[in-house]
Amino acid sequence: MLLRASGEHAGIEHDVDGITSTAGAGHSVRDADLLLPFAEAVVRGSAAELWAARERLMAELGAAALMDTAATAAIFNAVVKVADATGIPIEAYKVDQTATARAALGIDTFGQASRPAGPIGQRPPT
Amino acid sequence: MTALAPDYADAPLPVRADLATEHARVWRSLAAPGTWLDGSQRVAVAAETRIAPACPTCKAAADALAPLPSGTLHAVTNDVLPPLWIEVIHRVRNDASRLTDRWYSSLLGRGMDPGEYIEIVSVLAHVVAVDTFTDALGWPRHALPKPLTGEPSRTLPPGAKPGLGRVPTVAPEDVSQGEADLYEGLSGANIHRALSLVPAEVWSFFALDAVMYLPDRQLRDFEHEFRAIDHAQIELVAARVSALNECYY
Repeated sequence: MLLRASGEHAGIEHDVDGITSTAGAGHSVRDADLLLPFAEAVVRGSAAELWAARERLMAELGAAALMDTAATAAIFNAVVKVADATGIPIEAYKVDQTATARAALGIDTFGQASRPAGPIGQRPPT
Repeated sequence: MTALAPDYADAPLPVRADLATEHARVWRSLAAPGTWLDGSQRVAVAAETRIAPACPTCKAAADALAPLPSGTLHAVTNDVLPPLWIEVIHRVRNDASRLTDRWYSSLLGRGMDPGEYIEIVSVLAHVVAVDTFTDALGWPRHALPKPLTGEPSRTLPPGAKPGLGRVPTVAPEDVSQGEADLYEGLSGANIHRALSLVPAEVWSFFALDAVMYLPDRQLRDFEHEFRAIDHAQIELVAARVSALNECYY
């Protein structure tokens, strides 16, 4: 996880619970209270929620930050579809490095998590 | 407000020049013949990608314990594409986290070509990226381009092999001369390999990724910041969006 790596560089242990729940809100990351509601509204918010999150982010961080946050959210809303459609597995070294965090965050319960690695026909069907 | 030009010349707020240039490039490439799809098919896939979220069949499935069975007819379509392609677009657009190997195998059994599948997924992903950007900003979406004439090349990379995901991929060590720069500027991580059965789509998607997210070489350059939000902020947003999509990768 690059969030953890960036924190290690800065000497901060970032809260990762904000990734799967707004309750923890990732407060160790600056402006997480603006970024997380915006990201959530982009993916599944109503028009009103998105408008409110966008206006707040724009007012507090400015247009350039709004652009870059929107761009990041947008490309990840697309790259997840590439990953899921192709069934591409997480790299073995990342599985080991992130095992604890994935279990704690519930990521192991996501649909594709049960997909074994390897070509179709050489492993149990999912 | 009418549709924005893909170069954002008339946008209400300034858009980074590289972002605007890249979105304009993506829109031009949508209209052009690809490797397996011609220009009209690519634009039709883009149009269906936009229609799919309103599909009542998909909406009902989203609340169900199990995903839609293979071969389900979708209620809202533009009726231009084959039902099999529409099924792919709707399932990937609306329920990607519950796609299975069995479903993909059923597509092959019903006549889907793996190269076509990858190009459909890639066109969809490009459109989702650009549309999500304008949606996030509350701006109108770009009008889809007019298709260009020409035939797809229908070529497969010789180094493609099964063994990583559902679809054959090209490992960095198997890249051949024809696509020697397939992973140029990329680490060759699994996600970079995902679309590699159609090398042109790897180049295109990760060129877009580099300007909307970060180029690979900047991902771990924590000494410098390259955007108006810092590395940690970028990664928090990226991780949250991935989690909301229930993406394991």
